[in-house]
Amino acid sequence: MLLALVAVSKSYVDFRARLESLSMFLFWIVTWAIIVAVALFPWIVDLLIRSSARGGAGLGTFFGMALVFLYFVVYRIYVKIERIEQNLTKAIQELALREDWLNRR
Amino acid sequence: MTVAIIMPARNEAAAIGQVLSRIPRQIDGMPVVPIVVDDGSSDQTARIARQGGARVVRHLTNLGVGAATRTGFQAAQTLGAEIVVTMDSDGQHEPAEIERLVRCLVEGKFDVVIGSRLLTPRGMPITRFAANLVLNAVTFMVYRKIVSDSQSGFKAFSRKAVESLELRSCGYEICSEIVGEIYRKKLRYKSLSIKAVYTDYSKSKGQHFLNGINLLVELFIRLMRRV
Repeated sequence: MLLALVAVSKSYVDFRARLESLSMFLFWIVTWAIIVAVALFPWIVDLLIRSSARGGAGLGTFFGMALVFLYFVVYRIYVKIERIEQNLTKAIQELALREDWLNRR
Repeated sequence: MTVAIIMPARNEAAAIGQVLSRIPRQIDGMPVVPIVVDDGSSDQTARIARQGGARVVRHLTNLGVGAATRTGFQAAQTLGAEIVVTMDSDGQHEPAEIERLVRCLVEGKFDVVIGSRLLTPRGMPITRFAANLVLNAVTFMVYRKIVSDSQSGFKAFSRKAVESLELRSCGYEICSEIVGEIYRKKLRYKSLSIKAVYTDYSKSKGQHFLNGINLLVELFIRLMRRV
């Protein structure tokens, strides 16, 4: 709960400083609310799994889907970081070479 | 015909002056131009390098040895250098061996000459030797090319080689990436035995063991992207 509080407050501070949009801020509130609810009332997970098992899916399906989703998120983050790194590198290199270094000793 | 010596450097104020003073001013009549790429140093590396006669290119912030090497290649191309040598700024590489690398490149008409510490590894700490063998194996897995010292930062390149390299690395994985480019672009290369200098200072400046793990992860990701 403390972690959720810290995360939501950070999000709120970013939202107030206009570093984060309202929709993103609301997304984090909802996400952390779900995580706290599951932490405080774990029987919710049992309920979900039992209801999905009626349709033929079991615990394995649930965790498999969660794993795939998490892997996808990690992959997307990796791609974005790589792109940012390349762009940052290019910008700093061009700045460095733009200075009159050829004639300076 | 100019020979450019690219020296990526970060916080090397203690060593760079001495290294620069031992670089020959010319090789077989060809002028030698040291280019120090200051990769976001917080000490006086850039000032000392300039006083030592080097051309200095400064990164605003630390990008990594790979990015600094790439900046150096661009700078060397701007200078119109026909031969480009990369070397460490911490004194691990013997400046007197630059001539051997350049002569080997010119006389053998090679595109790349790799200074190999592992052909005669006398004096090399055993942990470094073992780590380099592992990295040679990983480089082979990723890039399908085996060389005796894939992680050597002491290399000579022809202008043709520099113009053909398509590099993206920012960190130490650039050494492996260069090996991959040698294979991809079918460049003529040779490994030449060199002596590495292992002082307490140069050992402290080399790749940390934990960074070796980082490097393995980077190379593994590249392997996955190729599959």
